[in-house]
Amino acid sequence: MIKKIFLIIKSNILLTALVGVLVGLLSSWILYEGLHRTSGDKFCVVCHEMKPMVAAYENDVHGGAGKTGIKVTCATCHLPHENVIAYIATKARNGVVEGAIHFFGNPDKIDWQANRANRQHFVKDEACFGCHTNYRTNESISEQGRKMHEHYASLEGTKNEIGCASCHAEVGHKGLRSMLNYYKPEYEFYKGKLDKKKEEAEKKLAEDLKK
Amino acid sequence: MGSKKTLLALGFFLILGVMSLVGSEVKASSPQLKITPELKEKFPMKPHHEKLAFKCVDCHEGQGDDPENFKAIDDKGCLSCHKTKQYLADRLKFMDALHVNPHNSIHDGPKLYCDECHFEHKKSENMCLSCHSNDVKIWMRPTP
Repeated sequence: MIKKIFLIIKSNILLTALVGVLVGLLSSWILYEGLHRTSGDKFCVVCHEMKPMVAAYENDVHGGAGKTGIKVTCATCHLPHENVIAYIATKARNGVVEGAIHFFGNPDKIDWQANRANRQHFVKDEACFGCHTNYRTNESISEQGRKMHEHYASLEGTKNEIGCASCHAEVGHKGLRSMLNYYKPEYEFYKGKLDKKKEEAEKKLAEDLKK
Repeated sequence: MGSKKTLLALGFFLILGVMSLVGSEVKASSPQLKITPELKEKFPMKPHHEKLAFKCVDCHEGQGDDPENFKAIDDKGCLSCHKTKQYLADRLKFMDALHVNPHNSIHDGPKLYCDECHFEHKKSENMCLSCHSNDVKIWMRPTP
């Protein structure tokens, strides 16, 4: 049987190559479409516990609130881009873990405010540089800004290495701390007193996600 | 003949691949004041600044190289990184709903000097406490 297939391939080398190319292209296309259609706010929010984060994102320039309305997808900033295997592996792992927490875990127990301390691990610097290519030389950045960007670069590869988000605390999610407080206040004092703000935010978020 | 072509193609991609790896830049090192343990004890830094591995001269720019003679950098210095007082007030917007935003208080608005409350090298003092001594702790955490 195998010998027969081998023979057919051997006698139709051109056809086999053509079929191979087609299969390769098709699977690349499926992978591409699959990855891209599952990387934005509308898809991610279905399982990921991230309503306040999305609400704050929609208010940020990265979430389409800028003059041009351009939106960066969740996966652009939050998934590693060094290589495609790590990208897919992280995406798959996060999908399973977050889905499990959403359906079987206790999302209310998650301390979002405390997790913000780990922000430099959630934001992939190589993704920032994907768009902000000239962050060290761009003259629209203040002198102090450029000086600090040099400082950042000087720490790369040392034990003191920092991330973009180490300084850019609410980058991508304008007013994140406030938004998190509307959903789940940091202090007892605010409990029940920010519900109106949460309602407003939820209403706006529902409209933004419909767009 | 075929294998030669394959080899050529392979070599071509290999070279391209290696080329994409090259190009990482050489880091420039700047002269700096050495931060000794004694200096660290005398002028401790706030943990959020410590984490960013700042050097003395990152804030005390153009003030010589003797820490004893360094001067406070004033609002302008702080805001060269922290943007504007309005920006800082906006970051605590949720506190506005109950009028307890320290960066936008009903007494002073977003106009206080940074060092009325915040000190880099010693414990900060929450000015709100001077009148609201009992309730401030339920509104906000200790001043960073």
